[in-house]
Amino acid sequence: MNSERRRAMKHDELARLEMLAEVDDLTARVSQGAERDWPWEPMQRCAALLRRVLGRVEALRIRLEAPLIVATFGGTGTGKSSLVNALVGSNVAESGRERPTTRRPALIAHSETDIEALDLPRDEFELVRNDADLLRDTVIIDCPDPDTTDTDVSGSNLDRLRQMLPFCDVLIYTSTQQKYRSARVVDELAEAATGCRLVFVQTHADLDEDIRDDWRTHLGERYEVPDVFYVDSLRALEEQRIGHRPAGDMGRLLDLLSRQLASSERISIRRTNVVDLLQAGLVRCHGLIEEHWPAMTQLSAALHEQQERLRRRMTEKLEQELMLSRNLWERRLLNSVTASWGLSPFSSMLRLYNGLGSLLASFTLFRARNTAQVALLGAVQGYRWLEGRKEEKTAELTTERISALGVDDSLLRESQLVIAGHVQEARLDPSLTSQTTLPDMRSQAVAVEGDFLDDAGRRIDDVIDDLAMRNSSWLVRGLYEILFLTYVAYVLFRVGVNFFYESFLNRDAILATDFYIPATVFFLLWTAVLVMAFTRRLRRGLTTRIRGLSQELVDRQMDLALFPQLDRACREAAAGRDGLEQLTERAGELQRSIAHSTGLGGPRPSAPPTIAPRV
Amino acid sequence: MSASLSEIARLIHELHPAVRALERAAQPLELPGLDGREWYELLATKLVPQLGDDTFLIVAVAGGTNIGKTVVFNHIAGSRASSTSPLASGTRHPTCLVPAGFDQCHNLAGLFPGFALRPSEDPADALNQSDEHFLFWRTESSLPDNLLALDTPDIDSEVRVNWERADQIRRSADVLVAILTQQKYNDAAVKEFFRRASAENKAVVIVFNQTQLPEDEEYWPLWVGTFCEETGIRPEHVYLAPYDRRAAEENRLSFYEREWPPVERDENANGESVIASDQARAPDEEPRDLLADLSHLRFAEIKLRTLEGSLGQLLDASEGLPAYLREIGQRSEEFHRATELLSAHELAEIDSWPEVPNGLLVTEIRKWWASQREGWTAGVHGFYNAVGRGLAWPVRVARQHWQGETLPPLERYQQQEWSAILDAVEKVYSKLTWMRELGNPLLRPRLDAMLGGTSRAELLEAIERAHQQVDLGADLRELVAREMGTFRSENPQSFEFFRRLDGVAAAARPATSVVLFVTGFGPVGHAVTPLLADTAMQSLVHVVGDVAGGTVAAAVGETAISGTTSTSVGYLEARFRKLHVAFTAQRAVWLAGLLKEQLLGTLPEDLQQAAKIGQGAELHRVRELTRNIRELVRVDRRTHEAV
Repeated sequence: MNSERRRAMKHDELARLEMLAEVDDLTARVSQGAERDWPWEPMQRCAALLRRVLGRVEALRIRLEAPLIVATFGGTGTGKSSLVNALVGSNVAESGRERPTTRRPALIAHSETDIEALDLPRDEFELVRNDADLLRDTVIIDCPDPDTTDTDVSGSNLDRLRQMLPFCDVLIYTSTQQKYRSARVVDELAEAATGCRLVFVQTHADLDEDIRDDWRTHLGERYEVPDVFYVDSLRALEEQRIGHRPAGDMGRLLDLLSRQLASSERISIRRTNVVDLLQAGLVRCHGLIEEHWPAMTQLSAALHEQQERLRRRMTEKLEQELMLSRNLWERRLLNSVTASWGLSPFSSMLRLYNGLGSLLASFTLFRARNTAQVALLGAVQGYRWLEGRKEEKTAELTTERISALGVDDSLLRESQLVIAGHVQEARLDPSLTSQTTLPDMRSQAVAVEGDFLDDAGRRIDDVIDDLAMRNSSWLVRGLYEILFLTYVAYVLFRVGVNFFYESFLNRDAILATDFYIPATVFFLLWTAVLVMAFTRRLRRGLTTRIRGLSQELVDRQMDLALFPQLDRACREAAAGRDGLEQLTERAGELQRSIAHSTGLGGPRPSAPPTIAPRV
Repeated sequence: MSASLSEIARLIHELHPAVRALERAAQPLELPGLDGREWYELLATKLVPQLGDDTFLIVAVAGGTNIGKTVVFNHIAGSRASSTSPLASGTRHPTCLVPAGFDQCHNLAGLFPGFALRPSEDPADALNQSDEHFLFWRTESSLPDNLLALDTPDIDSEVRVNWERADQIRRSADVLVAILTQQKYNDAAVKEFFRRASAENKAVVIVFNQTQLPEDEEYWPLWVGTFCEETGIRPEHVYLAPYDRRAAEENRLSFYEREWPPVERDENANGESVIASDQARAPDEEPRDLLADLSHLRFAEIKLRTLEGSLGQLLDASEGLPAYLREIGQRSEEFHRATELLSAHELAEIDSWPEVPNGLLVTEIRKWWASQREGWTAGVHGFYNAVGRGLAWPVRVARQHWQGETLPPLERYQQQEWSAILDAVEKVYSKLTWMRELGNPLLRPRLDAMLGGTSRAELLEAIERAHQQVDLGADLRELVAREMGTFRSENPQSFEFFRRLDGVAAAARPATSVVLFVTGFGPVGHAVTPLLADTAMQSLVHVVGDVAGGTVAAAVGETAISGTTSTSVGYLEARFRKLHVAFTAQRAVWLAGLLKEQLLGTLPEDLQQAAKIGQGAELHRVRELTRNIRELVRVDRRTHEAV
């Protein structure tokens, strides 16, 4: 039994430790994001905001183990000082009927409490030592009111209160029948409650009616309200004076405070407050980011669109030129066929023709004005040609080559104009575009085009191999071999008959050279007809293939971007946004899961604010 | 009513529509509207309905939430006229009690503009949580026949629409019954409300509710003192009401009057003012009847005082109508500055607008010349031309083959022009970006909209589409026909020109640059001479040519070009260049028109229109009325003082 309980305790302890570790992890990750240098302005603002929040978190971490700081909070005349007196059991805070009574806040601490460790601005307080039980684990501050001041000028009650609030761990929110819906107090609490546990108390139970149900309904929209106490501070003080423990709600309140604010709870409460702070900060950031995100999406879309435009322009041009370069197609197709066919009469013939063609091509190639032809020449040859040209270099050539695929300066400048507008709208660092000059863009475009052409070249090779294979089956090859050999056989037959039979037996004249001239002429004609017919055949389905090819090229994602820096910045911003959302989600979850563990009230995890539509 | 007051009333009734007209006219200035401006609300809800009307007093009960406003109201009414609730901000709508017969001789709705009037049937009506501003009213015979009593919503809860309604009633009211408690007498929201009432010179009756007598006898002078000091109010009466919930519910709460300011002070009490006589007298004093006390107020005097207070607010130099007029003037001036900024700088200067190839021009001129020939000469020329084209065909084909496909010259020109257009657009955008960075608050949002990526893409697309649709050939033909027509009519020896055409064409290629301006108040005029006489165009966007052709003309001499018989080469060259420049100008105007239409839209006109409001008739009228009213008020005050 005993060991079981010990195990259960150990389990609780572990769960607590796990929670604490998670809070630490969350803090670490938030600070990681806050320290980064973002290229996107809203993200920079978020980072700055988070750095401030982390400053407060750090202050909490420093006094993690120090006694909890409990402060009263509420409108003037709601009995903050009276409540403090009742809690402590003696008159430590001045209460009165003139408003506001408390101007200089009182700091009530046990005589053994080390005030220095709390890191409080000592000059702001009237220090009161008291040895009440409740003060063993806590320090109580009797705060000034937020609602008698017109504007928050320095030195006013509101100003003093605001200086105090960041130090408080727990707020005891007092209100009365008259004041529980005062806008000033309610608004101020919304600001103050972040990073604090809350205890709700309705005072003046001796005079006022119980409005706790209505109050709870109104509080419930924003706060976790586990309990609302309905107390008569004056009577409770009298009871304690004569040595009684206060009865009713005041007794329950004292119980709650001494139990939940015990030293063992300090770390939990402060961590909960840390999560509160982080969550509120993150939600704020989330709102900020979401507000500016549509412009960012627009920029991404615009980048994509410009890229698309570039690709479409190149593809269209390439397709057009490929359609026109019939000769080159035929040569490549023949090449491919002869490479796959072994040695045979017709294939030797094809090779011969092709060789002649290549010889001519070496002329035409240098004359090739058209990039599609380079791509068509095949990756290896084309590359060699390009390298050769590169050595001759000159920027003029580069531009010329770009314009060969329809990517001219106008296109680039149009893109840049449009993108610059989007960058400005998205509040991305404008230097990302303004520093990009036209030559930069040109060389980037050349790189993009080179990449595009490499890819196109590879695909063309595939198309060629495929077409060659499809259009030169064994049957076709046999047919052409036979047709070719028929002529050869016929001539050989004529020569054989003449040689072996007619000139030998009949003594006819042997065939003169005159015979071979027409024979050769007809041979050439015949082979030419055959080769032409064959190449025609090879080109069957070429048009559809080219169309298909350009469709593929249009659909293909390009590896290189026209605006690489902007692309990177967009991706970074998107990653930052995702990270922020994750953190917000996690902080909210953590806050929900530990909100009840303290038994005290607190702000609800605020939902990410709904974004007003852009005007 | 004094003569000057009725005169003021007449002017106020004129002022109201005049101010409304001014608001309408000032719409382009994008200022916040009149509704919600304190002086205007006073004008509309207090001065217009009440100035010049019979003397009656509007008494309104006002104060923070849940401190018993409605309880006090019910005591004035003598019955539970409005429902009470222990929960805060229960009363959402004002309730008004009117004396018998009042609604027959007065227009109640006109008295409370902004509220939808409803006859009150049930005391719980006022708790209705509707968003519409209702005012529930009913006749109460116990009221004196010139007193209206109102219960108002609170002025400090989170239900902010309650504040708005309470503010409306405050403006209409003459007497405010201020309900205070020791928790709320020093609350900022409460003080602010009554500070305004004090500025409007309202008569105020303080009821200090929920006091604990006799303990609080010592404190109430301090409380009321603080309240009066903070708000500037001088109460007509001060009452104390005890904390007695039962009595409050049964409508028999006692109100004890206290003298204010406390006159007899005990000088010995450590500087604290304690009223010795009150202390002695207070507990056994008779409770007072609030309604009876209110009926004894000096109606005419209070009415006059509140009207004057509202007039004072209306004419207040720092927050009233004069401030609004100043605001309009300043804003208008800002628009003027924005216009100046926009028009003071050229939007773009394109140095080298592409030139039409000479060959093209020459061809067009030849064609025009050919079309001018008549009879058999035309036929002969046509024949030779056809033969010439036929002979040239192989040469053309061969050249195309060797040099690759060359673009037709017009298409090439179109491409060059597109590049120049992009140049212009780029420059315009960078200029607009620069202007935006200058941070003129009026230009900035407008420029932001123009500079956005989507609008840029749209602009480019629109220009490109328009550019594609332009028939340059037709434009050129038309231009040649026009220019040559005038040339021939003023120079009979024009054939000389055609004879020398090729020689002239070889020499002349003027460089024309184009400057785009947004016209406005900027210093355009003398620096650059507008190229075009097209006034419609000039008023939108300035197109000016730094005409190199002009320098040629100067070199040859203006006399040469204006002389009718000149056939010198210089003269012909100048003629030829003039054709070039005219064409460029035509193209530049085309672009300028497009940019104006697609990019700037109505911005320049809008800005100019807004800038003119500062001198507009509406503003003038209101200013004059204000001056007259102020003068009358001064006279009125002087006669008062004299009396």
